[in-house]
Amino acid sequence: MPSPPPDWVKALTPAGPQGSELLAQERAQSNINVDKLSELLHTKEFLQRQDQLVKLLQPEKVFDKSQNHSLGRVERLQRSLAKAKRLQQLAEKHQWSMEELHAANELIGEPTPYGLHASMFLVTLREQGSPEQHKLFLERAAKYEIIGCYAQTELGHGSNVRGLETTATWNPDKKTFTIHSPTLTASKWWIGSLGRTANHAVVMAQLFIGGKNYGPHPFVVQVRDLETHQPLENVYVGDIGPKFGYNTMDNGFLLFNNVEIPHVNMLARFSRIDKETNKYIRPALPTLVYGTLTWVRSNIVLQSGGVLARGVTIATRYAAVRRQFQDRDADVNAGENQVLNYKMVQVRLLPLLASMYALHFTGRGMMRLYEENQQRMKAAASPGQDSRGAGPEELRAGADLLADLHATSCGLKALASTTAGEGLEVCRRACGGHGYSSYSGIGSYYADYLPTLTWEGDNYMLTQQVARYLLKSARAVLSGKSADNDTSRILRNYLDRREKGASFDILENDADIVDAFAWRTAHLTFEALKHRDAEKRSWNSLLVDFWRLSTAHSQYMIVRNFYEAVSSPNLSQSLDSDSKTIMHSLFRLYALHTLEREAAEFFSSGAVTVRQITLTRTVAVMKLLDEIRPHAIRLVDAWAIPDWQLDSSLGRSDGKVYEDLFHRASQQNPVNDLTFDPYPWNENVLKNQPGKSKL
Amino acid sequence: MPDFTDNLRPSQPDGPTTLARERAESNISPKELSEHLLSADGFLERQARILPIVQREPLFSKEKQQNLSRPERFKLGLARAKLLRRLKDQHQWSHDEYKMAEYLVDDVSPYFLHLEMFITTIREQASEAQRAEWMPLIESWKIVGAYAQTELGHGSNVRGLELEARWDSQAKEFILHSPTLTASKWWNGSLGRIANHAIVVAQLLLPKAGSVNEYVSHGPHPFIVQVRDMKTHLPLSGVVVGDIGAKYGYITMDNAYMLFDNFRIPHSAMLSRYSSVDPNTGIYTKPEQPALVYGSLTYVRAQIVHHARLVLARAVTVAVRYTAIRRQFQDRDGDKRGPEMAVLDYPTVQIRILPLLATAFALHYTGQSMRATYQSTREAVEQGDFRSLAHMHSMSSGLKSLCTMLAADGVETCRRAMGGHGFGGGSGLIQLNNDYLSKPTVEGDNWMITQQVAAYLIKKMTTAVDSLASPATDKTDAVFKEFVRNRGNGFSKAGLDVLASDRDVVQSFELRAAALTYDVYEQRVLKKQSWNSLLIQLHKLSKVTAFFESLSTDDFLSDSTKTVMWDLFRLFAFHTMETEAFEFFCCNAVTKSDLDRLPARVQELMSRIRPHAVNLVDSWMIPDYLLDRYKNYSFISIEDP
Repeated sequence: MPSPPPDWVKALTPAGPQGSELLAQERAQSNINVDKLSELLHTKEFLQRQDQLVKLLQPEKVFDKSQNHSLGRVERLQRSLAKAKRLQQLAEKHQWSMEELHAANELIGEPTPYGLHASMFLVTLREQGSPEQHKLFLERAAKYEIIGCYAQTELGHGSNVRGLETTATWNPDKKTFTIHSPTLTASKWWIGSLGRTANHAVVMAQLFIGGKNYGPHPFVVQVRDLETHQPLENVYVGDIGPKFGYNTMDNGFLLFNNVEIPHVNMLARFSRIDKETNKYIRPALPTLVYGTLTWVRSNIVLQSGGVLARGVTIATRYAAVRRQFQDRDADVNAGENQVLNYKMVQVRLLPLLASMYALHFTGRGMMRLYEENQQRMKAAASPGQDSRGAGPEELRAGADLLADLHATSCGLKALASTTAGEGLEVCRRACGGHGYSSYSGIGSYYADYLPTLTWEGDNYMLTQQVARYLLKSARAVLSGKSADNDTSRILRNYLDRREKGASFDILENDADIVDAFAWRTAHLTFEALKHRDAEKRSWNSLLVDFWRLSTAHSQYMIVRNFYEAVSSPNLSQSLDSDSKTIMHSLFRLYALHTLEREAAEFFSSGAVTVRQITLTRTVAVMKLLDEIRPHAIRLVDAWAIPDWQLDSSLGRSDGKVYEDLFHRASQQNPVNDLTFDPYPWNENVLKNQPGKSKL
Repeated sequence: MPDFTDNLRPSQPDGPTTLARERAESNISPKELSEHLLSADGFLERQARILPIVQREPLFSKEKQQNLSRPERFKLGLARAKLLRRLKDQHQWSHDEYKMAEYLVDDVSPYFLHLEMFITTIREQASEAQRAEWMPLIESWKIVGAYAQTELGHGSNVRGLELEARWDSQAKEFILHSPTLTASKWWNGSLGRIANHAIVVAQLLLPKAGSVNEYVSHGPHPFIVQVRDMKTHLPLSGVVVGDIGAKYGYITMDNAYMLFDNFRIPHSAMLSRYSSVDPNTGIYTKPEQPALVYGSLTYVRAQIVHHARLVLARAVTVAVRYTAIRRQFQDRDGDKRGPEMAVLDYPTVQIRILPLLATAFALHYTGQSMRATYQSTREAVEQGDFRSLAHMHSMSSGLKSLCTMLAADGVETCRRAMGGHGFGGGSGLIQLNNDYLSKPTVEGDNWMITQQVAAYLIKKMTTAVDSLASPATDKTDAVFKEFVRNRGNGFSKAGLDVLASDRDVVQSFELRAAALTYDVYEQRVLKKQSWNSLLIQLHKLSKVTAFFESLSTDDFLSDSTKTVMWDLFRLFAFHTMETEAFEFFCCNAVTKSDLDRLPARVQELMSRIRPHAVNLVDSWMIPDYLLDRYKNYSFISIEDP
């Protein structure tokens, strides 16, 4: 690394006021109790664990982050595997729970090549394997004796699982399956942990028995030798190359040339082949899978709040430290204005600040509903193996709720991950020029997060599922057979009040804001239903309407969840009244800012008047920005993201932005070790190294 | 080593088959359209000639570059820049030909600042004597230069710069000094490891009249300064300079930090075409026309605006071809037997990509009008006529802001519309995204420079209101006056039929621009509201104004292509109207019933444009070499158009 700067450089400090002073001033002007708010968001237990983990991990050299942005792809992948190995050792040594390992992974700040083994491989074996298969695969996988991954998507096939081309053909004589890739587009693609790390894979393949296709099923296939780690014969496997982000993960490709595997390798908890009769046995409980997906998506919603919080924390702190131009109306001697005082910075950052709270509470609400419902379903189903023993009323209510939750989770996953992903980019740009530096800590994080917008269902594709559900619910409501859940309730309310009109007082009454969002969703639902059922328009021609409908519905869900959270007794008990007031302001900012951006749909559905929208835009939102502005720093502090995790010069909690940027540039930057020859006529790029430096 | 994968083929219909069918289905001639778009200044002919030359150089192969570390990638970038410069001599390339080669190689050149800002600043701001001294050295590459203006703590606000250039009247020298850490120069391209000279912008401090120890600042001024030793290439004593480290993109550029410790430079270092210090008396002579100091910035902005179309066209080309080939799910209403549906047939994909296709054309016409304005203004200024400077400055700011935002967001939208493969290194959009995303902040933060446009427009509105009775002086003035007159009678004259008349579409945009300007004018001038809270509305306003010109342009092509071009124009306009529906509705620029019909109209336009999508992107003639998409996977083999 470069030699230290001369003394006269070391003696320099940034022009005053210092970043540390500005942040201190920010913190002094707000009376929000940061600790209480942190505990409400994360629980005391989580915060303590996070502190302990940072203390344990940060000093270890293997987890050093300073060279992340300078290294090549190969070196980064190698170092990431080293990190994954070290984490696993620590997990065993300290007997970490899943939560602890997960928290540790979050802190080291990058996906590792063990990622898919630790999540999808283990989960799939556990959930879809029979007891025999647990013994054979899961136990060894849990001990890291075998390393696996989950191979579903293919070069030519993503969201549509039914379109997969890889085949698994049952050989009745040998009692084996033959796994085969008939085309190039059948190649497994994007498979995390497969490229260089895994020796096993759960492979999704079209099951063929006696020439008949039974659809995609999961098979455990060994792909590399356990001794040499070389690919097995007739297996062609490797890393798919550099990507926009996620470069510490070895996403892989995989092709099979008639590879034979034993009967026991088809995961058989739900469906299987009878070895004797060669007959296919149908899945017992298809809805169980439904539940897992709902859980995964709800989790993405919950995490999206934290993801956005990282960008907002960085951008908000930096906007308080960075000063630019004098206020045009202020005294000439006042010095430059903090960028956070500019309305056009506030209007980009503060609604995102509100969104991160909104998404967090929505994710929490979803998870709670999901857990409650699982309990209910389990209790109802528990009397015996035969679920028919349960009370039908109980089960029916549970199923209605699960259907509602499932559809809701699809739409919310799409909206929440898009909000977080795009929000990070807004934060990066709000940092101005320095946002473009890797040391801002936002760019690479954004790149690593972006796949979330595609996986577990592409965000645009998912919106169809929401629309389908809403149309179905609307038809049921019209025929008087509506289910017992919130969606049916808002649709019925709309029909009841349609004649009278809405007249919601969104500027004065918070509950009315929620109702206005519900009204717009119901209106769009019945409009879409009219297009589909009365006008008989094709499904395909309505996809844009469906996408808008799903977005409207998800925004309603967030507004409702946020409103319930800020009005809840739990929040009242945890926070003092000033903090509570600010939480209500955040709710209003999220809701009214969203309403203003979607103004056209709100007034054309009759939920609000044009006058109300104009007032929202010119008065209400501006006033909320003023109310929240003084508390902005404490509101991001409360998210309690450790500096080590942020890994950002701009977002440092001590405000030493410029010192840190300069330090990283001059001391942690390997480019400054090189002296170049700048002239075109000399083919050598480096000075005084004839021949060697030639490329 | 041959193995079983050698014989594997993509499932049918494969990429080439699909694209061939797409091309046959449309009656648009990519050749005709590409000539209309790109042949005016010989672009197409140049591209065809330069392409094979750069393509055969192994150093310009793009295959493995995404895997390299920052130091290795930077070395590769420099080696390429050197080779390009040598090829220029070898083939006797003109500047345009050289720029073409650079465009095709597609690296941000570490020589960029030497070739652009360094030389332009000397040309525009140096005195005759200084030009005579420096130009030969620059043009013969005896020295390599950079441009150092922004600082660690100071970006868009040039007046806030901290670096000092203090006049020492005894020694008759300037002393460059960085008083703080935030005074460090920062982001200055080509300076981190490459340049040995730089234009350094510093606060000019001159002794107060009749005083020895007191100094007065005369604001930021440019100086030409040697910063590295010509033999060792190490920084001179009293200068600390280096590369600022990894960035989101621009990996082949050595953006710099630089600090000075009481570093002495001669009197002749201050560029003195417009302002100067008398070496004997220390007396300062002011520039006649202060706006000229930003002359080179305006030039760079004009360049950025003109280039935006090609950036977006490239992204749209990749996205249209890939989504035409990519299939997913069966049509729900279909018989579910044939192949899956092409992703480009999904309206949810169309609505992301096709308006951007239309935008690429809008950017083209915008860039052209910007170029024309720049040329005519420069000519006028050379003649001593400064009247059109304010308009040009405002136009370049507004358009730079709008066009880079549209292109940057468009590249990212295209990348994401491709699903998983858009995330992969084979999409060819990753480095483009990384590099281009710097544009919304370089040469003035987009959100900041919109203020300049707004200030200009408020002034125009004030003039229009005050001189309502006198005849209009220009187009903007005419529109504003018309608006103010109609405002009195409640827009009774509006009644625009945007769905039926293209002329009315333009008028609808004019009306909205005037209405927004008037709102801001009213609040700022009449109600004296604080400037700050208006900035949000101002940003939207400058976005509108910028489009004014391009939408009024209607000298399109011959008949067959023209039909589709008009559809693209309408798609662009209606899509904007739909996105900003409320604002259009509020000022009566669109009626409620038209607004309700807009989504259906947009969808109809998209289905009319859809069959021509592949030929329309072909017309941009982006070579495969530049697209740098999955070459090695035959499943998406895309032939050169």
